[in-house]
Amino acid sequence: MVSSGARLAVFSPVDSTARVEAVVRRLADAIVLGLLTDGEQLPSEAELAARLGVSTVTLREALMALRQRGLVETRRGRGGGSFVRVPPDSGLEGRLRGLTVAELRDVSDHYAAIAGAAARLAAGRSLPSDLAPLRRSLDEMAGCPSPRLDGRFHIEVAAASQSARLTQEEIRLQADIGPLLWLSRDTPEGQDEMAKQHQAIVEAIERGDGDQARLVAERHVLDATDHLIELRLRLQD
Amino acid sequence: MITSAAPALSRVHDVTEEVFAAIREVRDATVAALAPERPLVADLAALRPLLWSRLTTGPLAALIAGIGFIAAPGLLADAPWYLEWWQQHPSGQPRQLLRDLDPASSAFYDYTHWEWFTGPRVGRERTICGPYVDYLCTDEYSLTLSVPVTVGGAFAGAAAADVFVRNFEAAVAPALRELPKPAFLINAEGRVVASNSARWLSGSVYRGGLAVTPVPGLDLSLVQGPAAE
Repeated sequence: MVSSGARLAVFSPVDSTARVEAVVRRLADAIVLGLLTDGEQLPSEAELAARLGVSTVTLREALMALRQRGLVETRRGRGGGSFVRVPPDSGLEGRLRGLTVAELRDVSDHYAAIAGAAARLAAGRSLPSDLAPLRRSLDEMAGCPSPRLDGRFHIEVAAASQSARLTQEEIRLQADIGPLLWLSRDTPEGQDEMAKQHQAIVEAIERGDGDQARLVAERHVLDATDHLIELRLRLQD
Repeated sequence: MITSAAPALSRVHDVTEEVFAAIREVRDATVAALAPERPLVADLAALRPLLWSRLTTGPLAALIAGIGFIAAPGLLADAPWYLEWWQQHPSGQPRQLLRDLDPASSAFYDYTHWEWFTGPRVGRERTICGPYVDYLCTDEYSLTLSVPVTVGGAFAGAAAADVFVRNFEAAVAPALRELPKPAFLINAEGRVVASNSARWLSGSVYRGGLAVTPVPGLDLSLVQGPAAE
């Protein structure tokens, strides 16, 4: 027998707003990061919905929002479909223009506090099963650095703290500013320095050195936000 | 007077085994649902009435926050990666976990590295993964218990359930409180799961030095210190 509560679930309205936003953010970030290129055709609605694990209704709402933002163009008829459009100001610069230096500094302070506290706790509490994913992410990033792997690495460090709240904050900060921070360091020297800092964070956690783990994790965030703020200051409003 | 640890050990055993019993029901229902030669995602919908009732009724609903089946990659003909996974929701009505599961597009969700998957894959009858921050499903501090699902002798995936650490702790706390401080439960790696002492909190790591008694049949142990703390 199925309980009446469970039966009701079948017909309950699905909270789709969050899913629409998640799809919009995912595709918009992919366009900003250049993972999807100008003029590229998106898969069919049915296929895209299935791959993203959302309904076609949710997907259509997301596409409509992306069309309004000028990031997607839909053409009808033969050879029709949804195509990626990269507006001239959609890259790092475009995103940066939407943020003030004061906002960037505030995010930077918040992020350094979260990342530092999480790394310190991780050093005191992590076990081999927490370190294995960190090592795996370092290896994968050595082969092919990407904002996606970078984000995963930092969430894994936060999870090693054993604090659900710190991890939730890290996830939120990653969604807000993660790709932007990564882009600001996307040069050979920047990549090199980031890789060294990631390595230093993992080593301090492995040694159980909480103070050092906190220091390097804070430094890592502050260096990246410094770069971002320098870039922002150079932009003409 | 010596306080026997036996009641605490049997309470921990019983609570955990109740969850495993529900997971084995899911395993059996999954085996039945996977009867077609090339099973599809839609075939797993047959599990839903069972999953929903475990999340909404009976004493287990206070423990189990999420329950379902995690398919081995490539098992289903129409989805290389798939979870038939349902979770409790504040509305009282279970929600399905929907995620982009393709590792090519989502770096987070290659689920085959998690212990709740690797344990069953190597044939371990009972896997207790965690406590860990479950950023894949719940963003909560959780335990995931899992068992292997095999079809015709081949590994098909894992049947599993999520139990929030706070709820597990609430279920065993009365029994731990009967023991002199400190008394706490650890997992196979030494991570504290539940405790009667502020000195040892869930999430901290026990590194040896006190008396350790295994909980029969499970990868959990009871640790007890000298009575004076």
